[in-house]
Amino acid sequence: MSSHGFLLANYVPGDSLLHRAPLWLKFVLVLACGMASFRIVDWAVAAAVLVLMCGLFLLSGAGLLRLFRAVRPVLPVLAAIGLFQWWQLGGPTAARIVLNVLVCIVAASILTATTPVQRLLDGVASLATPFRRFGADPERFALTIAIMLRSIPFIAGAYSDVRDSARARGLERNPRALVLPVFITTVAFARQTGDALAARGLGEAED
Amino acid sequence: MSTIVLDRAAVRVAVDGRPVPKTLLKELSLQLTEQRIGVIGANGSGKSTLLRLLNGLVAPSSGTVTVDGADTVREVREVRRRVGFVFTDPLSQLVMPTGREDVELSLRRSVRNSRERSSQAEATLDRFGLLPLADQSIYELSGGERQLLALAAVLAVDPAVLVLDEPSTLLDLRNRELLRRTLAGLRQQVILSTHDLELAMDLERVLVVDAGAVVFDGGPAAAVDHYRALCAVAPDAGAASGAGPESPRVEQL
Repeated sequence: MSSHGFLLANYVPGDSLLHRAPLWLKFVLVLACGMASFRIVDWAVAAAVLVLMCGLFLLSGAGLLRLFRAVRPVLPVLAAIGLFQWWQLGGPTAARIVLNVLVCIVAASILTATTPVQRLLDGVASLATPFRRFGADPERFALTIAIMLRSIPFIAGAYSDVRDSARARGLERNPRALVLPVFITTVAFARQTGDALAARGLGEAED
Repeated sequence: MSTIVLDRAAVRVAVDGRPVPKTLLKELSLQLTEQRIGVIGANGSGKSTLLRLLNGLVAPSSGTVTVDGADTVREVREVRRRVGFVFTDPLSQLVMPTGREDVELSLRRSVRNSRERSSQAEATLDRFGLLPLADQSIYELSGGERQLLALAAVLAVDPAVLVLDEPSTLLDLRNRELLRRTLAGLRQQVILSTHDLELAMDLERVLVVDAGAVVFDGGPAAAVDHYRALCAVAPDAGAASGAGPESPRVEQL
């Protein structure tokens, strides 16, 4: 696999204010940014919030390069969305939508860059504890997050490999040569992951 | 030592367009009690299916498989607690971005306290010499380091039996040697499939699998001889098929 660019930043050990902040506060920050993306209607406000979020990210000591790596995989998609929205709804609306998505990604990256994955999983499992009375297993919620964090870079890497193969065969303009192999690789990956989890006894119902 | 019993176990799968299911593993009865057991055979012979029966990843279509009396279908949780499984490609097994996180994930079920979990994960990584690489991305590790990490993640929960499906296939010579030494030092019962005949010679008992059946079961030297005889191609077979050194096709190349 040639590329493993994570959509969200990996944990960066540190002792910044954000590292020491309680997990619930960081969850609230991500949630608030998600909610705000529906409420903010002015692109200038969205831009200001994005600057604030980027500032917070840099405050964690994770660095500009990691910030760029966190948003880079989504930039082509955002460019396509932005162009489409510009054509449909005009420049200010397109800018607001794109900036709001970036705000959410940077907020989520602040959470993942300043929180060890195991702590994040413990937090998700404890947040999901009330659902136990309905028969849900909190550990499965945590495992779902872990699998999601693993799957995004894998699929991005699979796409990159398939695109290179298609280029080598002169098929880069053939959507079938791009989409089908990524789809098949992703299904195979899902099966492998399922086998790997089952073999380790993870994801099974609690006693 | 654990006792694994296969009692007339067979594996068949339905294939589209075929009136009868395809047989991956013919009816097989075995008792596995030795500490080091190997399975050798050609690609597609049924080695992986046989190994996957042992921790319930594959359920027998008929017959039963038990590990210390626990049935791999009805008591699969108990079986998986006892039997750890290492895949050929460690990347298909490692779930988390770093080694430390992956070993901690293995321990989530058995160790609830996060500090205790963290210290146990460190101890496991240290045991395999992987502590300096604990926080590195799994994609930045070498093939041998990844295979060791996959092994560490499985052994973190201290299974009684360790099943490894072609663990040395993706490794270079140095890492193969490292793996051989590591496996030799384990107290667990080890059952592995391999194409590495040197590794097979380290074992106590070796099964030769061919076309979904165990065709030989005995000591490693005799098993390897049997396997070589099974795979031997008659000296003139290549020439007869047009692939020999004097064939016109080769000359054209």
